[in-house]
Amino acid sequence: MKRLLGAVTVVGLVVGLVMAFGIAPREATQGNVQRIMYLHVPSVWVAYLAFAVVLVASIAYLARRSEGADRLAHASAEVGVLFTGLTIATGSIWGKPTWGTWWTWDARLTTVSILFVMYLGYLLLRGMIDDRERGARFAAVLGIVAAFNIPLVHFSVYWWRTLHQPPSLMKPGPSTMPGVIVAALLVNFAAFTLLYVYFVTRRARVLRLEAEAEA
Amino acid sequence: MTADNWSFVFAAYGLAVVVIVTYWRFLVRRERELSEGDTLRRHGSGMPEPQAEQRSP
Repeated sequence: MKRLLGAVTVVGLVVGLVMAFGIAPREATQGNVQRIMYLHVPSVWVAYLAFAVVLVASIAYLARRSEGADRLAHASAEVGVLFTGLTIATGSIWGKPTWGTWWTWDARLTTVSILFVMYLGYLLLRGMIDDRERGARFAAVLGIVAAFNIPLVHFSVYWWRTLHQPPSLMKPGPSTMPGVIVAALLVNFAAFTLLYVYFVTRRARVLRLEAEAEA
Repeated sequence: MTADNWSFVFAAYGLAVVVIVTYWRFLVRRERELSEGDTLRRHGSGMPEPQAEQRSP
């Protein structure tokens, strides 16, 4: 099952690359640098998904004290931090030729950085507390509190005047983008979602083996 | 018409490949280390080997 999921994920990522570089056209205004969006946007989608899973698993842990829910929250937070970091880095690389700067304290960039730091803190908190049950309980509370930042990140482009453009795909109503660009984005969304599931499954298994080794 | 800036495109995708492959290798290595340790402990304690299919994350 693990191998099958891994193989399907690799195929998905390869198809995503073919869509991004072979099928999707050169964007008229930004040029080829827009192709970074096929990486940047699915990365932030995975970050949102990962932190939403942390929220649900944290609530489940506090309600039932299930070790499986705790491991899922831990694994998902780690993968979420990885993809938030990738989102910030790829956004910065795209920003230099497009905006003329690597970084600006724009509302979207600032809120996503706060999100990154909060979940980095979540992982540090887990590592700092020796008592496994206590660490899991504190992390669950932080996992719930930190999730309130997700809508703040997403809607920051509407609530404040920002340099960052509003969402092109993750918004209500039909997309204004050409169909082939939407298709390339959707394929990469699917591929990155598979990658998220693969990483979380393997990380949760590693966490279970670590817990068994410590017991 | 804007410049293509291919170097930025390759930098972004190259970085993503490095990050994803490094994390995948970390997971594979850690899982192998722990599985080997688990097998050794079970041998030492006389416990039966679990079936791979019985394990779930």
